[in-house]
Amino acid sequence: MELKDMLSYAIERLKKKGIDKIQGIIGESEKKELQVETGKKISLFRTTFQNYLNLYGIKDNKRSSISINKIDKESIDISIEKLVKNIKTSEIDESNSIADKQSYEEFTTPSLDPDLDTMYNRLDEFNDYVNQEHKTIILEAATLDHIKSNSHLMNSNGLDFLVNKGSYNCAAMFTAKDKSRTSSFNYSGYSASNLKLQIKDRAYLSELLHQSNEQLNITNLDNKFTGKILVTPHCLPDFLSFIEYSIGDGGIISGNSIYQDKVNKVIANKKFSLSSLPLSNKIDCGYSIDSDGYKAQNLDIIKDGVLKSLILSQYAAHKTNRARVSNDGGCHMVLKGTKSFQEMIKDIDHGILLCRFSGGSPSDNGDFSGVAKNSYYIENGEIKHPVSETMISGNIAQMFMNIGDISNETIDFGDEVLPWISFDGITVS
Amino acid sequence: MLTNLNKYKENFKHYTELRLQENKSFSVGLLNGSLVSNSESSESGVSSRVFSGGSWGFSSNAEINDSTIGRVINASSENASFLNKKSKSSCGLILPEDIYNYELNLSTNKNKNSNAYWISFIKDLDNYIENKYKNVSSRRIFMSSLDMEKNLITSIGSESYSLTPRALLYIVLTVNNNGEPTELMDVFGGLGQLEDNFINVEYYYSKIDELVDKLIKKSNGVHARAGYRDVVLDADLAGILAHEAIGHTAEADFVLGGSVAKENLNQKVASESITLVDYAHSINDKICPVPVYVDDEGTQAKDVTIIENGILKKYMHNKDTAHELNMDLTGNARAYKFSDEPLIRMRNTAIKKGKDKLKDMIASIDDGYYLTRSSNGQADSTGEFMFGVVMGYEIKNGKIAQAIKDTTISGIAFDVLKTVSMISDEMAWSSGGMCGKKQLIPVGMGGPAIKCKLNIGGR
Repeated sequence: MELKDMLSYAIERLKKKGIDKIQGIIGESEKKELQVETGKKISLFRTTFQNYLNLYGIKDNKRSSISINKIDKESIDISIEKLVKNIKTSEIDESNSIADKQSYEEFTTPSLDPDLDTMYNRLDEFNDYVNQEHKTIILEAATLDHIKSNSHLMNSNGLDFLVNKGSYNCAAMFTAKDKSRTSSFNYSGYSASNLKLQIKDRAYLSELLHQSNEQLNITNLDNKFTGKILVTPHCLPDFLSFIEYSIGDGGIISGNSIYQDKVNKVIANKKFSLSSLPLSNKIDCGYSIDSDGYKAQNLDIIKDGVLKSLILSQYAAHKTNRARVSNDGGCHMVLKGTKSFQEMIKDIDHGILLCRFSGGSPSDNGDFSGVAKNSYYIENGEIKHPVSETMISGNIAQMFMNIGDISNETIDFGDEVLPWISFDGITVS
Repeated sequence: MLTNLNKYKENFKHYTELRLQENKSFSVGLLNGSLVSNSESSESGVSSRVFSGGSWGFSSNAEINDSTIGRVINASSENASFLNKKSKSSCGLILPEDIYNYELNLSTNKNKNSNAYWISFIKDLDNYIENKYKNVSSRRIFMSSLDMEKNLITSIGSESYSLTPRALLYIVLTVNNNGEPTELMDVFGGLGQLEDNFINVEYYYSKIDELVDKLIKKSNGVHARAGYRDVVLDADLAGILAHEAIGHTAEADFVLGGSVAKENLNQKVASESITLVDYAHSINDKICPVPVYVDDEGTQAKDVTIIENGILKKYMHNKDTAHELNMDLTGNARAYKFSDEPLIRMRNTAIKKGKDKLKDMIASIDDGYYLTRSSNGQADSTGEFMFGVVMGYEIKNGKIAQAIKDTTISGIAFDVLKTVSMISDEMAWSSGGMCGKKQLIPVGMGGPAIKCKLNIGGR
């Protein structure tokens, strides 16, 4: 049987077993991955073939789910028996539900099939580039993969979506080493629908490699101070994730979120606007369907500093009597500012260019602390030197109220596009 | 799973590892009394990894039958050939060999309980908290298990079977103090299936009482004062120090990637009291949280004494790095899923216990901190580390004083280890360690309490 037939079979069988509401996804994927280790030649080529079947059922408002990676009839029958048993012994919760019926649609991305020779050539030329142009850099690991998948999402309400996806993903991790001097490691990566650009020209990689060489010479800061940090696009997700968690299911259902009752209220400086744009042509690798099974929609999360929407699943929306959104978050786009990165540096008397942040999970109230990695000291409008053993601390919610400027340049990571942002009032020690 | 893979050996043309694996997991969870997680999953398949001409080829398939097993063996060979055709420098490299056979089955001998039983188990705990502690504003109780079953043969003759289970219970509580939420988590369980780990629900009532007591103290706590301080790190933090700050720098792939351990081999990197070991499976016949007898390259897993009496002595290896650095194999190559290639991973990493009493260690500090629980940790090629600290106390004049709020500690690992002046005589393993390095994998980490100096964040 075809994939869709197997899923239809599972849904019908669960209906016959008395399950009221059923939703499932079935699919298969193929991954090709090339890898460089410690700057040597490309030494590993992997091809993996995967299947997946996830079934979710509700009876009398009791729910359970099961996932397997087999799509033969016998395995499906066994998993159905387990699922039915687990649903019946579950707990009643009236918030449980499945997606509403939507019209049939097929979603297909470009680059369904990998170009293996180009993959090899792109990774090989990047390895050569690093070895030739950045003599102190050891490319600890670099991978370039392509993942292709096709999946069907269906439910007992008549939902029927087909998703065909294919994308490239690249990640590189590197360290500068010169005799006994070692830089902090750094890394970057991106997703892409094509391999038109060289790897070194994506995700700021050539600049980061250059910076790692500079970071062989680091200086301790003498004094504790409170000042500005200029957060790079690579580092910004560490802080955006606090907002996204706090306005998502976990933060809102638990009641611990500081943004619990802040929709349509100011939670950031008016210069700050944050959107999640899974369908935008500005986001190369978005998504078509949210995790509830609804066709995804773009979403303004914060506009001119005002929180416009929480990001709640159908369950969390029912549970907290709030609005569901057809959006899983991610695919972030921050509205550009007016100043260039260089102009923003000139505006800082005393601060840190925060290029990577190694910190503990922030508290529910937004308090955070951690180490500034691969980062630089800024004084009198100039980047002075890379820093070592420098800790920063503050409160993330307060940080977004204290935004100084947002750059007019951005970095495109394929699944999000982010600028540099300066924040005031951070303790540096 | 199939148990006899020898019949497929005739398909091997080069050095080959053939592995069948199934990861079975289970999860139930309550959030403020609502069942938000009730799921089971199983992921199994076959993989083959081939080494030929200096290149590795890997292939995997979710289907396990004669046809797909033959296909993945051929595909892995073809993948290695693809690289060799492209490469300007393919060579006839021969990897170090080690042959070892072992069978390990740690599944429970008890009857398996139903999902309903475990839901009622966590409901019982949730009711206990809700009824007794009205000031707890949020409750998250999750129970999960992972059974990892592997069957491996290599072309040079290693054969192994292992079923290594882990079961965990997480309790995360929040109180609101003047509108400010404070959270604290504890984790219980470890090696073994649910039935072997969680026998009596009442046992956890006193654990909850202790957790709430700490949480209240933390919510009324003070911010740590930022700076370089004397601290006592309890076992949870000493374990993450051993794993994150030291262990990762001594993984031979990190060493080749430029880690600070590269130029420090046979050098003094810690006080003489420090001996730090990555234990393969047991200490004095007592089994560790993540026992590994044969790694996923078919190598016998051996203890690796990374630091001995303060001297950096050894790295952890896979076949590639042992060859590259001309060192002995250690059995540290492990894969998380059937579709993953083995990477150098720690097993059970800890500083050896000393002779000091914890109370004497605390009494020896006039102004410092006693830090007891971490949230997460990250290390660096320079040895610089950062750990989140979610529970700790001030030490004033040799006595425990006020609890502190969430903070972060950092330092340069070898510098911090040189400041270690006392090591406690008791050792404990943390529950639930997971390490992320391309793939996730369960790890054991723990140790005694240590007294040292490091940077603490705060205000």
